[in-house]
Amino acid sequence: MTIPTSPPVPGEHPLEDLSDEKLKAKRWYHDVLLVTGLVIVTVALFLAAFGEAIAPYDPTIPVGPPSSPPSGTHWFGTDTAGLDVFSRVISAPRIDVTLAVSAALLSGILGTFIGLMAGFYRGPLSALIMRISDVLQAFPVFILAMVLVALSGRNLTNLIFALTFLYTPIFIRLTRAEVMTQRERSYVEAARASGNSEWTIAVKHVLPNSLTPSLIQLSVTVGFGILLTAGLSFVGAGVRPPNPEWGLMIANSAPQIVLGEWWTSLFPGIAVSLTVVGFAALSNAIERRVATS
Amino acid sequence: MGRYVLKRGAIGLIQALGITIVVFFVIRALPADPVARLVGFNATEDVYAQAQASLGLDQSVWSQFVTYMSGLVRGDLGVSWVTGSPILSEIRSALPVTLQLITLAFAVALLVSVPIGIATAKRPGGKLDKAVFGYGLFAGAQPEFWWGLLFIFIFYYTLGLAPAPLGEFAPSVSPPPEITGMSLVDSLITGNFAAFVDAAWHLWLPVMTLAFIVSGPIIKMTRQSMSRVLGSEFILYQQASGLPSSQVARSTTRASLPPVVTLAGILFGFLLGGAVLVEQVFAFNGLGSYSVRAVLNLDYPAIQGTVLIITIVSLLVYLVLDLLLAAIDPRVKN
Repeated sequence: MTIPTSPPVPGEHPLEDLSDEKLKAKRWYHDVLLVTGLVIVTVALFLAAFGEAIAPYDPTIPVGPPSSPPSGTHWFGTDTAGLDVFSRVISAPRIDVTLAVSAALLSGILGTFIGLMAGFYRGPLSALIMRISDVLQAFPVFILAMVLVALSGRNLTNLIFALTFLYTPIFIRLTRAEVMTQRERSYVEAARASGNSEWTIAVKHVLPNSLTPSLIQLSVTVGFGILLTAGLSFVGAGVRPPNPEWGLMIANSAPQIVLGEWWTSLFPGIAVSLTVVGFAALSNAIERRVATS
Repeated sequence: MGRYVLKRGAIGLIQALGITIVVFFVIRALPADPVARLVGFNATEDVYAQAQASLGLDQSVWSQFVTYMSGLVRGDLGVSWVTGSPILSEIRSALPVTLQLITLAFAVALLVSVPIGIATAKRPGGKLDKAVFGYGLFAGAQPEFWWGLLFIFIFYYTLGLAPAPLGEFAPSVSPPPEITGMSLVDSLITGNFAAFVDAAWHLWLPVMTLAFIVSGPIIKMTRQSMSRVLGSEFILYQQASGLPSSQVARSTTRASLPPVVTLAGILFGFLLGGAVLVEQVFAFNGLGSYSVRAVLNLDYPAIQGTVLIITIVSLLVYLVLDLLLAAIDPRVKN
């Protein structure tokens, strides 16, 4: 047997997987993600609750000269109708965040439950559910959402239902996959041997052990929901004006951007972008924590 | 291989049929009133009833369904309720615009992100890796319509490096005749060099916007897959056997491709939806803009047609992808 004479290239060598350098890099990523996620999510939730109350102006009535750039009195400027952009940006989470959080929670609960049933009791019904959610997932989400919301009426309840419908398949798939591995574990056999009913085993034993994927997915789904809501409003199939909503604000200022009026779309856009990043980062941080523990 | 394609084609056909049927009934079950949208809410009952009859909406849902399906088997997608022209010809001119846009965006994204992903996998924790990590956090799920607007502000308004976002050609340029429907291809085959340059000039910003959004996940996946392969035993064995590093690099790249290809397929489907917003921003008359108009006008035949065509295109993409996977990884074949 020959011994390699040249030293292994750092980072390329498989046996160096747990070197200090790699471990440090991993921790750094985890910390950045966790802090980014927590800060942004906290701010978003705070604004969803109190944004309108702490806004300096009423977000739905004109309060200044139209199309004025950012200044001391209007921090983010005013739009073409003279509405205060700053007040609108911090009032919008009441709609955007509330809607996305509700849809994520609803689809999380529904999808986890259906996934549990489909994974635990395997049969023709379970196969059918999987086929349907497969087909749903293969189709471009945005177009489906547009059809659902525009045709069922553009209001908040319908938006929540449409988003819930679209995001449930993800949770079904994730939970089902986890349940399928859990149901083969010996603790399930033990529970069965000690005389528990199948229902009790599914809900009391398998379910708590299969929650991790759904919990990780929950936060990132909130981000997706915000993105989708903003996109729908942007094309005119979402929230109705003059509600303060980020996508709507960007849509209204789209024709102005070619004239150089950047402030009306820049600030709501940054808000959407950062919020989505925040919820995704939190999910990612939780995922890394779970993976290393 | 031939049998496999046939089987997949058959399943795909059933799926497309399933989606068509579901969409047909779902849009009729939702409480929208397309007749009122067409004739206005103040129309008299007579006018309303007349319009309803002309759209065939006075029939039962089942007889509407039979009419639609019997048209479909003859390749007839019906007529738009708003423009009065056949859906198929409308989609025929809209689809190539979208396909050209997303194919270019996709190619740019792959060319840029796969090498970056490989480079970061080789030096985890390095400067490039950290920068890319920050970007990956961002892109992937982002408001593409807003990035489009931001790029317009920077590259059109401020720097003058892009045209005004008013469509595929400047008004002063006479567009080439519609042969394939793709602006670059059409101007090239008709030898219209001025139109070709203008088409490219109008395409680069929307293409960059889409590529910017989808590159994040591709880099992430390439990095992940690559570092997994780098840590695997068969690469260790190759290194231990003293194979030249170029040979090892080739094996690593090939072995890390399958997950990237799978993701690429998913992203192509995503682009099909993402193009909707970017087309709106840049005023491209592609399938995305068409679907927005169809939905907002409650033009049911147009909605059904769009959904059917998009389903078929995505199924075709998945099929090509699976064949590609089988070519890269022989184990997949059975």
